[in-house]
Amino acid sequence: MRNHFDEQLELLNAELIRMGALCEDAIAGAARTLRGAKNDEIQVRQAEQEIDQKEREIENLCLRLLLKQQPVAGDLRQVSSALKMISDMERIGDQAADIAETARYMKPAAAESHIHINDMAEATSRMVTDSIDSFVRKDLHLARKVMKEDDVVDGLFDRVKQEIVGFIAQDGENGSLGIDLLMIAKYFERIGDHAVNIAEWVEYSITGTHAEQDY
Amino acid sequence: MKKRIYRNMCLVVLLAVVLATAVTTFVYYENLKGRIGRELTSEARYLETGLALSGEDYLEELAGKIRETDKNRVTLIDRDGTVLYDNYAEPETMENHGNRQEVRGALETGEGTASRMSDTLSMETFYYARRLEDGRVIRLAAATGSVFSNIVRMLPVLCGAAAVICLFCILLSDRLTEAIVKPVNDLDLDHPGDAKVYDELAPLLGRIERQQETIKNQMELLIARQKEFTAITENMSEGFIIIGKKGEAVSYNSSALRILGAEQVCSDGNGRVNVLSLNRSRVFQKSVDEALAGRHSQQYMEMSGRVYQIIANPVQEGREITGAIMVILDVTEARERESLRREFTANVSHELKTPLTSISGYAEIMKNGLVRQEDMKRFSQNIYDEAQRMIALVGDILRLSQLDEEKVDEHRENADLYSIAESVAGRLKDRARQAKVELRLEGTAVTVRGSRQILDEMIFNLCDNAIKYNNPGGHVTVTVSRENGLPQVIVADDGIGIPEEDQSRVFERFYRVDKSRSRQIGGTGLGLSIVKHGALYHNARVELESRVGEGTKITVRFGQ
Repeated sequence: MRNHFDEQLELLNAELIRMGALCEDAIAGAARTLRGAKNDEIQVRQAEQEIDQKEREIENLCLRLLLKQQPVAGDLRQVSSALKMISDMERIGDQAADIAETARYMKPAAAESHIHINDMAEATSRMVTDSIDSFVRKDLHLARKVMKEDDVVDGLFDRVKQEIVGFIAQDGENGSLGIDLLMIAKYFERIGDHAVNIAEWVEYSITGTHAEQDY
Repeated sequence: MKKRIYRNMCLVVLLAVVLATAVTTFVYYENLKGRIGRELTSEARYLETGLALSGEDYLEELAGKIRETDKNRVTLIDRDGTVLYDNYAEPETMENHGNRQEVRGALETGEGTASRMSDTLSMETFYYARRLEDGRVIRLAAATGSVFSNIVRMLPVLCGAAAVICLFCILLSDRLTEAIVKPVNDLDLDHPGDAKVYDELAPLLGRIERQQETIKNQMELLIARQKEFTAITENMSEGFIIIGKKGEAVSYNSSALRILGAEQVCSDGNGRVNVLSLNRSRVFQKSVDEALAGRHSQQYMEMSGRVYQIIANPVQEGREITGAIMVILDVTEARERESLRREFTANVSHELKTPLTSISGYAEIMKNGLVRQEDMKRFSQNIYDEAQRMIALVGDILRLSQLDEEKVDEHRENADLYSIAESVAGRLKDRARQAKVELRLEGTAVTVRGSRQILDEMIFNLCDNAIKYNNPGGHVTVTVSRENGLPQVIVADDGIGIPEEDQSRVFERFYRVDKSRSRQIGGTGLGLSIVKHGALYHNARVELESRVGEGTKITVRFGQ
């Protein structure tokens, strides 16, 4: 019985890793689309669909585990944090797809003039990777690092916002581009928040307590 | 075992005591019965004598004098069975006793015994009858009850004794059991052969020892195998992972961790490591999935600027897939070489096609008679030039491929670099004059061991380039010398130089710095490539120093 349960938990773990990898793919694809790559948008959309499907699969698995095995203590934390984590991952997938879609209709040449949006893409990408890594390795230290990294992304968002304001004031004709960029920046900022959420759930599943939220 | 021995011993003790008590009681009972019989007999004789001496009143008198409790029953019976006297009942109320077994026996043989329920006393009674001389019968009766009461009186003593014996025996058996079991408990199971215990245990202990020996040997063998395996896998530069049925990493070497970038491995509570926690890239996932689904898979994965080939194979036992084996190879160099080769092939085709196209073009115009007689010479010259170019190109390519395969047939000899440089300078004198470049030769005679022809080509190519990529009025200096005892050739010019970004690529085949000028300058684009390969053949190093507009200095340093 216990053996079977362990196997199921192991399966849950593997599925979460797969879903995390899909998220990484999605956000990397979104960043590439932003830099002007042509075919990555379709890839991101596919990843997003796969993420949705994985979410449902993992949800089923978790509910089955809860119903049939009625886990307690650490096992229960693992299952319940998995349930929460997948919704964050799913949001990351959705927002990556949104970024890719928005970015596709932007003029690639325009993307050159505002460097910091790519910095944001890079920073959030790294956060997502780190949060998944912290889950994979059950690395509390890394999870906490992700939580701190969010400040960097938030700072970048403010900076990008200022730059966009300047950009629109200077070049009113390309105002819609500015709006698009602002949306993309917001999406990235949200992805960063979701990465922090994942890191928090990692922490919760390891320690059993939630991080003190100071924002 | 101890418990069992103890229990059995106690059981035996109890049984023994009970049986002993029973047998004693029985023997005592029989004994007592015999004694009562004998007593009755002797009492009967006394009574007979008494009767004979004092008549019937004797019985009455006797009865009066003896205490009630000590009295045996005495009955006097007439010849016909009528009861004449009884000390326990009125004779008148008693029936005829003539047919009683003991009376009949007495009447017939003189005495008789019987043991039965007495009607009068209503208890089990032992009778003894004796015929008197006058033919009457005197009968004595003793209740067997007295026998029992005797025994009952004895019983507490008996039981007490039995209980004491039991207690003693039980205590003793406890000790004995302890003593029996002790050697077994004290067995040193690590060295069962040395133990001196019961012979009955010897086969068992022998077996244990043999099995221990076997286990030890097998463990050693296994450990040795494991070490061997680890030594092999750990010293592989390729990544190696064994994957279990459920996708767990059963075994992996440090190369695999290094390649996959999993510097830290985390296992779950059961010590299992999911293989996806080593790497979760899509390519890797696909590889694992394919292999576990029973298909051979071969994928390329790019990680941190290097290209890896992931080969995964399923492990099958019968029809069931029990896992997968994965090997990760670094194919970055192979990939690079392959792309270089592809580029080279494409370049060769292109370079060969260009002269051929112009040859074919000129020939076609000539064939169609569109050329005036006076232009004929120029056209032929062009065809000749292009053909020469092709010959040179094919020659260079052949030379290169020979150098590539290190199948140069030139035998190695002692060659004097200075004399070679001299001959090269002689051959290039005209060309240098045409280009208005001064070609100078300096240094002393230095011998190296190698192929004179290849060395000649190397120096020729270097000097040729120095002249070609020079400005009118420029200078080229060839220096043959020794530095730290090692031979070296320096070709320096003050020509146009090579831009920094191209410096690393000029030794590549067909690489041209200025692609637009190359046609009018000529050359195959293989010159420096031949120098590089020639240097490799001679175990020499080529060093390039160059600045745009200031000139180029190429040093060939020979090894030992």
